[in-house]
Amino acid sequence: MVGFHKPRTLAEALALLAADAEARPVSGGQTLVPMMNLDLFRPSAIVSLNAVDELCGIAADAAGTVRIGARATHAELAASTVFAAGQRLIPRAAAQIAHPAVRHAGTIGGSCAHGDPAADWPVALCAAGASIEIASPGGRRLVAAVDFFRQFLTTALEPGELVTAIIVPPLPGNGVYRKFSRVDGDYATVSVAAVIEVSAGICRFAQVAAGSVGPRPVRNAAAEAALVDRPLDEAAAQKAAVLLAAGASPMSDVRGSAAYKQRILPGLIAATLLECARP
Amino acid sequence: MMNVTLAINGAAETVRVDGATTLLRVLREQLRLNGAKRGCDYGVCGACSVLVDGQPTRSCLALAADCEDRAILTIEGAAPAGELSALQQAMLDTGAVQCGFCTPAIVLALKALLDANLSPDEAAVRGALGGNICRCTGYSAIVAAALKVAHG
Repeated sequence: MVGFHKPRTLAEALALLAADAEARPVSGGQTLVPMMNLDLFRPSAIVSLNAVDELCGIAADAAGTVRIGARATHAELAASTVFAAGQRLIPRAAAQIAHPAVRHAGTIGGSCAHGDPAADWPVALCAAGASIEIASPGGRRLVAAVDFFRQFLTTALEPGELVTAIIVPPLPGNGVYRKFSRVDGDYATVSVAAVIEVSAGICRFAQVAAGSVGPRPVRNAAAEAALVDRPLDEAAAQKAAVLLAAGASPMSDVRGSAAYKQRILPGLIAATLLECARP
Repeated sequence: MMNVTLAINGAAETVRVDGATTLLRVLREQLRLNGAKRGCDYGVCGACSVLVDGQPTRSCLALAADCEDRAILTIEGAAPAGELSALQQAMLDTGAVQCGFCTPAIVLALKALLDANLSPDEAAVRGALGGNICRCTGYSAIVAAALKVAHG
């Protein structure tokens, strides 16, 4: 028999999780519940976060940094007008997650905590240079997204810790998310997230990540450096795409062979960069 | 086990669940509301969808204990007993039903769309149906039914 708790505060939720190592937090349930239905996992108790209002909300501060509460759903993020310039990568990625029913239930905090490298948030948050805010009974800490997503279904979260928020810094220019999947709404075969600023014909800022191509999202400083201080034309996009794709290590799965993913990735990177650079 | 009281089709229903009991199991096994179908049981096929607070929701992925204080609508509550909604009638008229397994969830997905957007275009209709798999109809007649309700 699986227990059920619905605390009203973050402190209560953390205390419940600390008291029982086999209890699991849930909000949207779009990942944990299928795992239970398929008998892959059976927690001792469910700690519902759906009455913890501290985990809600999407808001920008005066400097333009956006704090996304962990319970923000993909649908709320897709419809949010809080994101400016390059931060628009975030609602654009949210709109491409699964289908209306999943978007209305699933949360960004839950997706991060699960850490599936084929999901849309890990790659988008790495490209955005976002940070993950984590709470435990001992306090809070911030971990950069690129350090948070470590391996397939493995993150920087320690037992008893909860994702409480995602922090997105101000970003210049434009932000774009492109995902290639064979079936509408499926996980990505490969995906690319980019933030690009072009001013007077010259690329001034570039952050780009590839997703679903290995155990964690891939970024490459050389690829980003190769884009900056010159026009972002076809040749520049192709050059950066080859540099970034070289760091990919996709696995063969139902969505395509490793060789296929490796082959289509540079084209998707280049197309995303060029789309992002367009005024 | 514990008792929870759910608001289903406007009525309060008290059911007995544990923390892992899904809304789908409660609907089908305790309340005999069999319109929501158990297809894949992991959120992919869409056949179990109901409306929770007006939004399409996978009842196989919703924990019943977490659904107190939310308004749940199943296909059994989509129209008064013995009557059809305009959308249901349009689906009959366009031949949008074959085996019928996916139909209750498709009616509810389109109801949520039409409640929010009085004149959706074809792209919006197809987007609303993105999470509902139909293996019989090829979707065209279903899309036609929704557009008929929206645009006459």
